[in-house]
Amino acid sequence: MGEGMTRRDWIAGSAVALAAAGCGRPVRTTPSETTIVRAAYDQRLYETVRHVIAAHRLAVRGRTVVIKPNLVEFEPQSAINTHPMLVHAACEAFLAMGASRVTIAEGPGHRRDTLDLAEAAGYFQTIPGFEDRFVDLNVDEVTLVDLPQRFSRLNRVYLPNTMLGAALVVSMPKMKTHHWTGATLSMKNLFGVVPGGVYGWPKNVLHWAGIHESIADLHSVFPRQFALVDGIVGMEGNGPIQGVPKAMGVLVAGTDPVAVDATCCRLMRIDPMRIGYLRLASGAPADFAESNVRQAGEPISAVAQPFALIPQFRGLRLESGA
Amino acid sequence: MPTSKLLEQQNPDGGWPYRHGGSWMEPTVYAVLALTVAGDRPAADRGLAWIRTGQRDDGGWQVRPGVGESCWVTSLAALLPGDRLGSKQHQRAVNWLSANTGLESTTLYRVRQWLMGGQASPETKSPGWPWVTGSAAWVSPTSMAILALERENRLHPAPGLESRIEAGRQFLINRMCKGGGWNHGSVRALGYESDAYPETTGMALAALRGCQGREMNQSLDLALRFLNQCHSADALNWLRLGLTAHGRLPGGYAAPDRITYRTVPEVATCVLADRAVQGQSAFWI
Repeated sequence: MGEGMTRRDWIAGSAVALAAAGCGRPVRTTPSETTIVRAAYDQRLYETVRHVIAAHRLAVRGRTVVIKPNLVEFEPQSAINTHPMLVHAACEAFLAMGASRVTIAEGPGHRRDTLDLAEAAGYFQTIPGFEDRFVDLNVDEVTLVDLPQRFSRLNRVYLPNTMLGAALVVSMPKMKTHHWTGATLSMKNLFGVVPGGVYGWPKNVLHWAGIHESIADLHSVFPRQFALVDGIVGMEGNGPIQGVPKAMGVLVAGTDPVAVDATCCRLMRIDPMRIGYLRLASGAPADFAESNVRQAGEPISAVAQPFALIPQFRGLRLESGA
Repeated sequence: MPTSKLLEQQNPDGGWPYRHGGSWMEPTVYAVLALTVAGDRPAADRGLAWIRTGQRDDGGWQVRPGVGESCWVTSLAALLPGDRLGSKQHQRAVNWLSANTGLESTTLYRVRQWLMGGQASPETKSPGWPWVTGSAAWVSPTSMAILALERENRLHPAPGLESRIEAGRQFLINRMCKGGGWNHGSVRALGYESDAYPETTGMALAALRGCQGREMNQSLDLALRFLNQCHSADALNWLRLGLTAHGRLPGGYAAPDRITYRTVPEVATCVLADRAVQGQSAFWI
């Protein structure tokens, strides 16, 4: 064991390395495309989002789109929840592209009163007809699903039919640090699709099965995803709840959540190679190397700002030039 | 709160959904309890029949038929009066509940902790209850289990029940947030203190009925502050129940108009809180 390394670190690190070596996806042959655009919470956001989504040429005409924001706490003035204006802008954009239905769906991990949470977060006020568009994933109808790739010891998991029936899953997280995983982005956001009505609040079964491994498991269930990360105001420090707002002024988007999350990490000056779930979900670290992600819009160097990290995560800091 | 809202939402199979769709145990038990205290026997009886058919061979219940294993909702079934549920079925529910603990209280977990270099959990001595088997104990399922077992122990005292209830209460005390009150059960993460929630504070206070001391007063004071600020029916219902359990709900308190009752459990627990304030509680004797 290395200096300062506990038995826990060694066992956990070995498990991630073994899983990454044995269960990863095939190495990609074409680079993923990720878009970074500057944005603010104002009326121009609607046009910006429309352009970003159109640029990725998503086939949604006549299909069902499910938008999964990150709704966590009753604090509308904080940077905890995905901003409702961004969610509304995405709804409008997908409807304009001909989607037959756009549903907003979330299953918070700690608070059970989901609609009240959405109301406090400004969703009712900002999104017309919100209640009719929204599904509480914690108490949706469920189906037991075999995990296509098994990174954790979970072989099967109950998932909401709303998510399973989506032609396109749109993960819309807040760009935040996270006190268990280092960063919470579009992939970690999928924890919210696991039904609390079946697993409880919190969804502790996922923690016992391994947080990084469970994130990679959930990612593997949804083959058609689009990630649109709310980095206009993110959260640094002790995220995902008690951190400090961080004004970044960007949206990050793409059809490959691994590449999108890796790009977000670089914007936050976090080394994506040190985020366990990114290593697991990619076929090889080279998959999300900066040189293997085709970057559209703003270059990373123009908008990156280091997010403050709690002491336990300072080792995640992206070194210059990495 | 009128019970007509509950009657409108009862499914043809006798159970209730959370909001719409198929029947689940949690909304069904709350609806049956609410209709029972309100005196609407026919609808409650149809709900009871649905509940009875869901009991599994091990004595527990799933969140809904065919989904998962026996779990925390067994504590809800055990809250139903034995003469209404069926005395044998009720006893099997109590037995299942008495034997269930969070994974961190098991020998297997202690060995694992040793291998991982961790310290023994205080939950080893004071086990709580998990949402689902194979995971840790948390505040809400522990509170509901205590309420169910305490009710049973009042009617049929047993040393085993008494000790389990006391251990569960100690679990809740251990999980109290620094400034009083409870959240889902995570007091601190990586050294950072976590904040309490109103709904879990109310629920834990109900489970700690009869307990006294400085920490309890701190939590009761917090619950009173929450009462004037909370945004949800779930929170308001449980705060009213928790404060009523300690005789601390302000006299003549009226729920604010801003609260919306959207789900079956919210409507039903509102009925139950109304009745508890009037001295007729389904949660304690």
